[in-house]
Amino acid sequence: MINLRRYTLVRNTILVWMTVVLFAAFLLNIPKINILEHTARNLYFHVPMWFTLMAAVFVSAYHSFQVLRSGDIVRDIRALQAARVGAFFGILGLLTGIIWSKFTWYVGTDVWWNFDPRQSMVSLQLLIYGAYFVLRGALDDPNKRARIAAVYNLFAATTTPFLLYVIPRQMESLHPGAEGNPAFSEITHPIMRLIFYPAIIGFIGLFWIMYTQRVRTALLKNRVSHDPEL
Amino acid sequence: MALSTTFIQDAQDQAQQSTAYDSVWAGSDVPTQTLSGLEQVMLSNDKLYVVLAVVLIIWFGIVILLLRNDARLKSVERTMEEQGTSFDDGL
Amino acid sequence: MNWIQGSWAVLQKDLKLEMRNRYALNMLLMFVLSSLLLIAFAIGQESVSERMQSALLWIVILFSASIGLGRSFVAEEERGTVLLLQLNVPGSQVFAGKLIFNFLLLLAVDIVALVVFALLLNMVIENWGLLIASLLLGSVGLAGATTLLAAIIARASNKGPLLPALLFPLLIPLLLSVVRASRAALSGGLGVSGAMGDLQTIILFSGVVITAAVLLFDYVWQD
Repeated sequence: MINLRRYTLVRNTILVWMTVVLFAAFLLNIPKINILEHTARNLYFHVPMWFTLMAAVFVSAYHSFQVLRSGDIVRDIRALQAARVGAFFGILGLLTGIIWSKFTWYVGTDVWWNFDPRQSMVSLQLLIYGAYFVLRGALDDPNKRARIAAVYNLFAATTTPFLLYVIPRQMESLHPGAEGNPAFSEITHPIMRLIFYPAIIGFIGLFWIMYTQRVRTALLKNRVSHDPEL
Repeated sequence: MALSTTFIQDAQDQAQQSTAYDSVWAGSDVPTQTLSGLEQVMLSNDKLYVVLAVVLIIWFGIVILLLRNDARLKSVERTMEEQGTSFDDGL
Repeated sequence: MNWIQGSWAVLQKDLKLEMRNRYALNMLLMFVLSSLLLIAFAIGQESVSERMQSALLWIVILFSASIGLGRSFVAEEERGTVLLLQLNVPGSQVFAGKLIFNFLLLLAVDIVALVVFALLLNMVIENWGLLIASLLLGSVGLAGATTLLAAIIARASNKGPLLPALLFPLLIPLLLSVVRASRAALSGGLGVSGAMGDLQTIILFSGVVITAAVLLFDYVWQD
């Protein structure tokens, strides 16, 4: 069910890859920007969290779709674990974003939380996953749980794209590319992109490692007790 | 005291070294109220400690995730032992 | 033609049952009235901005929908009529009937909430057309999402408080656009042309939600 040789290969590659990215993130010189200063390096750590959450949402929704198509309980395990690990990266993204904005744009104020569109969207996605986990807890039969939770996950996935359109019209953004803010390419020196893209790949790889570990554990659990829920 | 002197020093450095990437952020008024102790620490050394805090949050997040994976694995192992399933059946 | 007859039969059955004891309707209206009075007493004589007025109005509607409409499928299970429906009527017709029934209930909620709110908070409505359009379209989307989720919670073992937790995160896009549109209707003037974009969003949202709900409903409904 899980190709262990592929898993080991990807895991080792990602671990080496991330080590190189970490070194490069701190050693490479970057242009100095007012307000941001060294925190511009957070681009390599904070922003990939958001990409990882997006990847996790896609993986989870894809497997939910497969649950409905085939009724395979393994797909439900995958959808759940992708959502769990993805929610974890979402929380990390929220926390790091709060720290970053607090010591750059909100220095000298007491503002920790701000109603930035992306921050709001991540918290809503986390809320949806919270509801998804609660719903799973209320369903007893594994097969019924797989099917109904998949319906909710897919239903949520059809409504969230509206947030991308609705929320930016309601609030101001700190992020590049929003109205009044410079685009990502304007403020990002090419040398930063050299590390930024590999960092995204590295963190998504980390997600994949964690997710696969959990799927393996859940499959074991399913084999010994015929209920994959952990 | 030493911290705030470094901060002023940093501010002067930054005025000299500013680049073309500097002026593009819209609405970039830096608030100039008095800084709390935490902020003085975080802002020293060109805000390098903010990056440290972010990296540490991610690192500890991954550590927590690892420990939780471990706990799950352990609970499955316990069930297997209770059922008397041998560990080497095909794994 | 057959499809419409089937949905109509489901709707008619629900309406007849509702007319017999008016349980859902009375509960909804009681909830709307008491929460509106609570808001009015808590605010007192203070004048409330248009933004707050439309936000409060929609929060009341949303909460009463999540409390009152959750029963539509739970009631079938309690009466033991699920199997009968499953065997006799295709899933999409059941969904359509329930959707229209929920929409009608929501309309009653809208009317009562609007009238009482206007009286209690001295609401001045500048643009009736826009307000009614946003109420109607918002209720369509709300009914669509609630009907599917009501079917979901009827399958869960712990039914009571689950619906609001599942419903609210999904409805944030709808709530934000609908609040903006009604605010424009209340304040009039320049906001109206901008509100057309919001109305389009609401229509699109309702369309997508109902389509997705119809496609997904069978997986919840059939055992």
